[in-house]
Amino acid sequence: MTRITEDVPEVDEPEVSLGDRAAAALLDYREGKHQALADFVREATPLLWHTVRAQGVVREQADDIVQNTWMALVRNAHTIQEPHAVLKWLLVTAKRGAWEAVRKHRDDQKRRTELPDDMLDGPTGTLPSSDPTPETQVLEVERDRYLWRAVLQLPDRCQQLLRLISLADRPDYKYISSAIGMPVGSIGSNRGRCLAKLRDIIESEQGDRTWETS
Amino acid sequence: MGNIMSAPSGYSPEEPLDAVDLEILADLARIHTMLDPVPDGLVERSLFAITLAGLEAEVMELEYVRVPEMSVRGEAPPIEARTITFTAESLTVMITLSARDDGRIRIDGWAAPAGELTVELHRPDGMVSTVADEDGRFVFDAVGPGPASLLLRAPGAGGDAVTTPIIEL
Repeated sequence: MTRITEDVPEVDEPEVSLGDRAAAALLDYREGKHQALADFVREATPLLWHTVRAQGVVREQADDIVQNTWMALVRNAHTIQEPHAVLKWLLVTAKRGAWEAVRKHRDDQKRRTELPDDMLDGPTGTLPSSDPTPETQVLEVERDRYLWRAVLQLPDRCQQLLRLISLADRPDYKYISSAIGMPVGSIGSNRGRCLAKLRDIIESEQGDRTWETS
Repeated sequence: MGNIMSAPSGYSPEEPLDAVDLEILADLARIHTMLDPVPDGLVERSLFAITLAGLEAEVMELEYVRVPEMSVRGEAPPIEARTITFTAESLTVMITLSARDDGRIRIDGWAAPAGELTVELHRPDGMVSTVADEDGRFVFDAVGPGPASLLLRAPGAGGDAVTTPIIEL
């Protein structure tokens, strides 16, 4: 068999990814079978949640946006052309909802306070207090704190990408990276720029110690 | 790993993902789940939302909410008496929610223009229905707290249905 695309999964990857299950769930749903979609909602809600939250949306609003994204999927169930693009469609829809919310929030803030809008620079700007608890209190293990500090040194977009792909399956990486506007192929079967950078940061901070599996 | 450790950009993006990359990703998944957990019930709310979306009814606009003083929009607003108005092109619905002594909630509704209407109260765990009287009034006497959506339709096949956004009772 010849390879059809460059990003065919490698042999050691799970044969059915989140994206595949999304496609199957939509096809079932179109035929009036709803169980697969319900299962998929359970499985993929965390990914949508983190997609929205990575755009800097406060928790209460992110809750609404995730629900609206699922409703939009059902409303468009019969018009989505390519079932295999469902996962990407969901991510893009969630991200757009998040951007709108961030923009609206920013406009509201401006109207209310008339303060210069210097904290929110672009749609990926992080809103103040979008994290529920200080990270240092939550991350009890030194190793986690260490990794987290390294992540925070990455550019925003790399942080977003790694956050999302960490919650998905490898064959889905390409959909995720294109959904958040990173070049396709920047991660997948290869390590990609963001992970390489993270490894470099970890390495340089650790000096001679290696980031070995514990 | 380790043979290019001292290089300033030692790890190549072009190399295949290795075991350490996968472990880092697994750690990140765990860390993000701890730092920013998915809210309790979001999956259930999402499932409820898709059930409602599947009804293919026109979603009304939440026009006006009158809440008692000191009540703030939130996940569980205090239940005293809230009046909410919903509008669609064909129908306006006003509901008043009042707390009962037993902790349940009474819904008094009024639809205009008045006419024969079936009113369904959808909840995550099922649906109950009633009919509006000739003045467009309807009542759900005692329902539990939690998310809900009303669906109103003219009787008979092909009657257009409208539904309210999800509200928290």
